[in-house]
Amino acid sequence: MTRPLARLGGIERRFGAVLALDGADLEIRAGEVHGVLGANGAGKSTLLNVLGGMLAPDAGVVEIEGRAVRLGSPRDAWALGIALVHQHFTLVPRLSALENLALGAGHRRGLAGDLEKLMARTGLRVPLDARVEQLGVGDRQRIEILKALLRDPRVLVLDEPTAVLTPDEVDGLFGLLKELAADGRAVVLVAHKLDEVLGVADRITVLRNGRTVLTGPSAGRSVPELVRAMVGGDAVDPIALGLTGVDAGATGAMSRPPAERGETTTSARALHAGGVVVRLRGAALADRSGPGVHGVDLEIRRGEIVGVAGVEGNGQRALALLASGRAVPDSGSAELPSGIGFIPQDRSTEGLIAEFDLVENVGLALQREPEYVRGPWMRWDAVRDAAERIRERFEVAAPSVTTLAGALSGGNQQRVIVGRELTLARDFLVAENPTRGLDVAAAAFVHAELRRMATEGVGVLLVSTDLDEVLGLSNRVYAIARGRLHDVPEERRTREGVGAFMLGGTADG
Amino acid sequence: MTEAELSLFLEASVRLGIPLALAALGETISERSGVINIGLEGSIIAGALGGALGALAFGSAGLGVLTGAAAGMLVAAVFAAFAVGLGADQIITGTAVTLGGLGMTGAVYQARFGATGTELSLPTLQALPLPFLERIPLVGSALFAQAPTAYVAYVLAPMLWYWLFRTPAGLELRAVGEAPDAAKAAGVRVRRVRFLATLVGGVLAGVAGAHLALAHAGTFAENMSAGKGFIAIAVVVLGRWNPLLVLGAALFFGAASALQFFLQALGFDLPYQLFLALPYLLTLAALGGWVGRARAPAALAIPWESE
Repeated sequence: MTRPLARLGGIERRFGAVLALDGADLEIRAGEVHGVLGANGAGKSTLLNVLGGMLAPDAGVVEIEGRAVRLGSPRDAWALGIALVHQHFTLVPRLSALENLALGAGHRRGLAGDLEKLMARTGLRVPLDARVEQLGVGDRQRIEILKALLRDPRVLVLDEPTAVLTPDEVDGLFGLLKELAADGRAVVLVAHKLDEVLGVADRITVLRNGRTVLTGPSAGRSVPELVRAMVGGDAVDPIALGLTGVDAGATGAMSRPPAERGETTTSARALHAGGVVVRLRGAALADRSGPGVHGVDLEIRRGEIVGVAGVEGNGQRALALLASGRAVPDSGSAELPSGIGFIPQDRSTEGLIAEFDLVENVGLALQREPEYVRGPWMRWDAVRDAAERIRERFEVAAPSVTTLAGALSGGNQQRVIVGRELTLARDFLVAENPTRGLDVAAAAFVHAELRRMATEGVGVLLVSTDLDEVLGLSNRVYAIARGRLHDVPEERRTREGVGAFMLGGTADG
Repeated sequence: MTEAELSLFLEASVRLGIPLALAALGETISERSGVINIGLEGSIIAGALGGALGALAFGSAGLGVLTGAAAGMLVAAVFAAFAVGLGADQIITGTAVTLGGLGMTGAVYQARFGATGTELSLPTLQALPLPFLERIPLVGSALFAQAPTAYVAYVLAPMLWYWLFRTPAGLELRAVGEAPDAAKAAGVRVRRVRFLATLVGGVLAGVAGAHLALAHAGTFAENMSAGKGFIAIAVVVLGRWNPLLVLGAALFFGAASALQFFLQALGFDLPYQLFLALPYLLTLAALGGWVGRARAPAALAIPWESE
């Protein structure tokens, strides 16, 4: 048991000017589930991609069973029994599930039979003849995992496989991983939630700034200890840490403010609460890439945070577009206020234009606001001041407002977007997965800002696939399944309770 | 039209459609891998000149087709070196290759045969009627009394279809054209696949050019490709990136070209340009989704860079 199955030592990898890995180590033993933890940009994915042969390291050694090897391509890794399940889907949308599984497998004879057996053994079932573009994210994730298992790997590497699965599916997957490990294989796992990883991993490795800062058995580790290792200091936001938000209430901000009853309390919120700021009635919107939404009845009042939980691809996109006024309902009605901010899910494609600097990116959103235009002209001085205020107020780590957005890290990009949209959100804010891919500190910041907006009387719609985030922040909770909203009653607002509602309209695939 | 005229019309349709079919089949392969080779016209004209020079040097039209194919491949290799190797913009690179090909062939031709362009007399590809098949009424002689290069196109279309949709290699090629990152993750060497696919496209465009010089004209003339590279790209769209449909679409374009000649010959007053425009209108209809949905490979024309 002492000789590791795989060992990465002193791995360095640079992307342009950014040093993603700076001497990271990882040691994997047969028969274990190994959790890899780290904040955003700590180098988790890079390290896993090195192990999977997707990225060649600039320096360092890779040893398999004590023998130094060179992993120049995924093929090299497979030959040594290493299979990688990627964080981002690596499926070809227009090919069928079977074709995707055959891709790179090289042979086709008997493939369907092998797959049937594999699906029966693992319980991961997918419709083989359906085109991937017609499948939900749950199915896609299962195909990715099957693709890796098809190679009968000795080391199975999974990069954030749980983000798009329901709590039940996550349990099922973890059960499977434990079985695989009990089989004498090794499983390497990156997952967002600390408690998830602690629950399944035998040993863990923590990365910080591209270096390994902690490695060892997971038994007896506490969440705060790991967080300190990850961020190198004391962390702030229990939600982002993966502690269930409900009554995690040591921190005052966590106690959930009453929604309807809020009108009778004497908090600052009560001054604003009550006024309905958004009203959707029987609203429907078709969406080419998802199920769309139909029959949406939703009222949001000033000062409340309404959370919508759901597995990705169940109509969240359409709901966010409707509520933010980016789309007009196909049927039904939407009454929206004028000052709407919208934090879209995808920072890089929807939120910011990488080739524009911060002033231009801010200007792009403010150009409809009267105080930033004079006749047909933009008041660039005012926009520059606004960008400057956002940079200071939201602590964007950028040398100046003329820095290109693409040069910022993900967390700092999100700070720019949040700052800009909060400027616009005088009445209402729509936030779609606002903390996806952010590290604990950045996520905590976003959560604090959402709460602050609510206390200032802004209505907030939080659409998120992160159940803990929804439960931890929201006054009222809905689950979205197959394009329909289900009101989750107070007593059911637990992971399991909401999880059941998320499957409500029959499970997504 | 009398039956004799109809038969002649069909024969002309096929004859004019064959070079389009060859070039479009090659372009289908490169586009399926995600590379749109606007430089196809350059490969065709190079194939025409290469074919002519080869036929002259070896005194054989058959060997001329081979040198034409080599010339077409060479031009495609230049395109691929920039568009695939360096990840340069495919449209700009392709335009440069087309204009460069037209200019270079003109220059070589003039240097070799003088500015006035001595009338070249080349060994030609003779029609090779296939026994029995050519006797099928009406379409027999049109389809089966053609130059051997026509039969290459007939055989190639079903072969390429089978290769694309039924073999692991074809699956890899399509994956590269749809989602190169996914293909890479599945162990496919994206750049190599795209490079080879572009070369195959160049070979077939070269054969198409050689066919123009050796089977049609019996000579080389500057700019004799006359936009066929661009028409072939439209044919690929109309054929929905499916080799069998592409062959049909090429013959249809051939028929449209034949029709204008016939209408002129028959003394019709209608402007023949109308008929010339018809296939393009259909191509637009295909792109707009009115003649079935045409969906280009998702990664078409997008340069791919590995990390």
